[in-house]
Amino acid sequence: MGKENPAAEKASNLLRSRLCDPNFVVKHLSDSPDSNYSKLKFLVSSSVTEACNNSILLLGPRGSGKIAVLELILTDLLLEYPDTISVIKLNGLLHSDDCCAFKEIARQLCMEHQLLFSKMASFDDNSQFMIEMLRECGLAHKTIIFVLDEFDLFAQGKQRLLYSLLDAMQSVTSQAVVIGVSCRLDADQLLEKRVRSRFSHRKLLFLPPSKEDMQRLLEHILSLPVDSSLPHAYAVEFNKKIKNILADGRFKEIVNTLVNLDSTVNHLLRFLFLAVSYMDLESGFLSFENFKTALSNSHRQPKLECIKDCSILELYILVCLKRLEVKEQNSYNFNSVMKEYKSIHDSFQTSDYYSRNVCLRAFEHLLQRELICFTDNRGYSQSVEFRPVKLLISSIELHQGLKSYCSCPVILLKLVER
Amino acid sequence: MPAIASHNSIMAVKSENAGEVARSNGGSTPQKRRLRSDAAAVENMSPISTPMKLKPPRRCVNSSPNSGANGIEMEINEKLMSARKSPVKKKLCDSFKSKPNWNPQDVEQMSAVREALHVSTAPSTIVCREDEQKKVLEFCKKNLEEEKAGSLYVCGCPGTGKSLSMEKVKHYLVDWAKEAGLQQPEVFSINCTSLTNTSEIFSKILLKLQPRKKLNGSTSPLQHLQNLYSQKLHSSGMKMMLIIADELDYLITRDRAVLHDLFMLTTFPFSRFILIGIANAIDLADRFLPRLQSMNCKPLVVTFRAYSKDQIIRILQERLMELSYIVFQPQALELCARKVAAASGDMRKALSVCRSAIEILEAEMRESVSKMNSASAEQGLFDQQAASAFEFFNSQVRVDHMAVALSNTFKSPVVDTIKSLPQHQQILLCSAVKFFRGGKKDMTVGELNKSYMNICKTSLIPPVGTLEFFSMCRVLHDQGVLKVGRDDKLKRVTLKADESDITFALQGVRFFRNCLQ
Repeated sequence: MGKENPAAEKASNLLRSRLCDPNFVVKHLSDSPDSNYSKLKFLVSSSVTEACNNSILLLGPRGSGKIAVLELILTDLLLEYPDTISVIKLNGLLHSDDCCAFKEIARQLCMEHQLLFSKMASFDDNSQFMIEMLRECGLAHKTIIFVLDEFDLFAQGKQRLLYSLLDAMQSVTSQAVVIGVSCRLDADQLLEKRVRSRFSHRKLLFLPPSKEDMQRLLEHILSLPVDSSLPHAYAVEFNKKIKNILADGRFKEIVNTLVNLDSTVNHLLRFLFLAVSYMDLESGFLSFENFKTALSNSHRQPKLECIKDCSILELYILVCLKRLEVKEQNSYNFNSVMKEYKSIHDSFQTSDYYSRNVCLRAFEHLLQRELICFTDNRGYSQSVEFRPVKLLISSIELHQGLKSYCSCPVILLKLVER
Repeated sequence: MPAIASHNSIMAVKSENAGEVARSNGGSTPQKRRLRSDAAAVENMSPISTPMKLKPPRRCVNSSPNSGANGIEMEINEKLMSARKSPVKKKLCDSFKSKPNWNPQDVEQMSAVREALHVSTAPSTIVCREDEQKKVLEFCKKNLEEEKAGSLYVCGCPGTGKSLSMEKVKHYLVDWAKEAGLQQPEVFSINCTSLTNTSEIFSKILLKLQPRKKLNGSTSPLQHLQNLYSQKLHSSGMKMMLIIADELDYLITRDRAVLHDLFMLTTFPFSRFILIGIANAIDLADRFLPRLQSMNCKPLVVTFRAYSKDQIIRILQERLMELSYIVFQPQALELCARKVAAASGDMRKALSVCRSAIEILEAEMRESVSKMNSASAEQGLFDQQAASAFEFFNSQVRVDHMAVALSNTFKSPVVDTIKSLPQHQQILLCSAVKFFRGGKKDMTVGELNKSYMNICKTSLIPPVGTLEFFSMCRVLHDQGVLKVGRDDKLKRVTLKADESDITFALQGVRFFRNCLQ
């Protein structure tokens, strides 16, 4: 027993570090010649070797590996052509303002080439500096690669940064590659027409991997290396067990459920991380139950769980609020809820009729649990009874919650269904 | 078969180069780079890089400076048109006796072709813009001779050669002034996007005019210029100045003062500059400079129309003429020109499409080379013969390469992405399309959820929970397919992607086809 533990822990650490390292996964996915990795690498390296300007846009949903592939390519290129590339990285969330962007470009250029950067330089100075640096680097046959993350955010406002960058690339003297990364598919429609005309319309789409690729990826990630510091027999046994799990039909169903919701690689990796964290460290092997627990834990329904903890009176209040909402009243507060509650009691003669104070306590509980909230931000002077509230839970969730409540009064279900 | 024989000799060279190409081009790059820097050096020495007949325009009244080139081009055009009919490659080759096919695996040829088609390579002669250039040139010449001020407005869609033509006009004018014995004008070109403040343009003009004088703090640069030009004392003896302001619409502010003042400077009695403004809007002069019309000094407007199909073909051929081999099939060039002319008439797009067609050909060749290399090792000589014929067939850029390049440029990625979305997101889009067919403009997330659940119920697919549903809506919003409002009381959802795009993308799956009927 004691012998297995350090090996199991080591294996668990190894797997988890693999899952957290984007390079590992991307390297595996990029082996084929028509993958996005090879296309992009060919484009950038041919621009560098032939000293011509190029621009390209990487599009795809979040978590599909765009930045990971780009980072891999940049590290490879920096190894292959050590002195001929400098990389400038900008992010649309931070640098969408033109002045900030030019300042950041000037700062990064200064850092790369060991020049002194002055914070007091004006916008004019910075843009002049960038154009001159582009010219100097062009004469010295160095390429500058601009990476613009969240490209669609740069396309707000006057788009001056994009225009100056793309315009500088129209001249013979500069050597630059502009790589834009965005999750918006229509990112190039957001550009002004003269910026769009200067952009070279190359788009690389990052689509989710196919089922076979996904299967191979799972095997590649979850198999332990046989010739490392882990005990040989343990690693072989581990891999065999993994192969059995992967071939199981139920496991394929789990993966299908995941992929039908969100097919990006990132989503799958997060699920795997959960599963590996549930690995039983005593036995040291992954089992099918680990994956099942991970699935149910990644698809939580916090509001439903909240409703399960509510008392019957609180459920009554929620149903009253829902009925008021359905009647399309503009705003309702505790008093209107009490009126509705009374009308239900009058029409259906329920046994659950409580006094106003008790209902107020239940109402405050619901507020604390954030199933309802106030709609106005002021009015602290008013008491709780008069302030307008709204429901934070949709009718479908309420319905499901009531159905799964163990001793829900039938009247409530009837009221909600109507 | 002379053509194929010559190609075989190229093949012999190719088999040596193939190994080289497979490695990274370490050895050949310095040579290429040197060529480029040499070209740059040559360009720096003689800014007028036209090696050919720049006859002083005064001597040839009826012909534009590019007439010599045009005559030759017409002949070649006719040859191309006649050669287009013949389907066999060999006949095509025979008709261009002097030009063999290119070898795409030769690194030097590839880089030369790429450079010839790059947007930044300014061609030595600018074809298809002779009329416009002539108009501008004559206007400037007239004003220079009479030492009068004037303004000109050049407009047109992006990618129609405005800035390029103005550069040429600049050089022609300076040379002409030198030859005609007039005082050479000062030339000041500025791109208005580089101004932080629109009124900075005046201080920049002043700086160029009087580089040594320090500005008096009390008068603004504009007033200074206005003073300068309204008094004969100051302005006589000053050189004429030619100002080319690119992207003029960046000077338009809310009160339109700067643009107005700039053009008004040319109306002063002793003003000495010629202003050429370049922008995209055709009616800029009418909309933003109404006062000038009342003073009868409206700027002369020169419109640069979008390129037609023939013009695009001519320009592409002009660029490829300098190379000593054929790169494109004529049908491919024509397809490209037709499509680009129909879309926008933007020359940059045409060049970009041609370059990506070359890359597609290159990718195809690399694949076939690797296949041949693995196959020919086993089967020996017979296959090599077939391989050489195969390569010959492949070595021009054909119509199918061009078609793929065009579809990559003009297609939006929406359809592909929708096809590859996960199943639940597709069901979501489907339910949104069905809902909006009823004619409503927007809906709440709750209603969308209900509609989604209905579809899932009818097809016995277990629906996802509400939290995942909201995050799916968020993901689709990030991709620009759906539009979800901020955290309002009720989040409103509208469909951003086109309904027909979604229907087209999902038509392959029977379930969605039935659903969307």
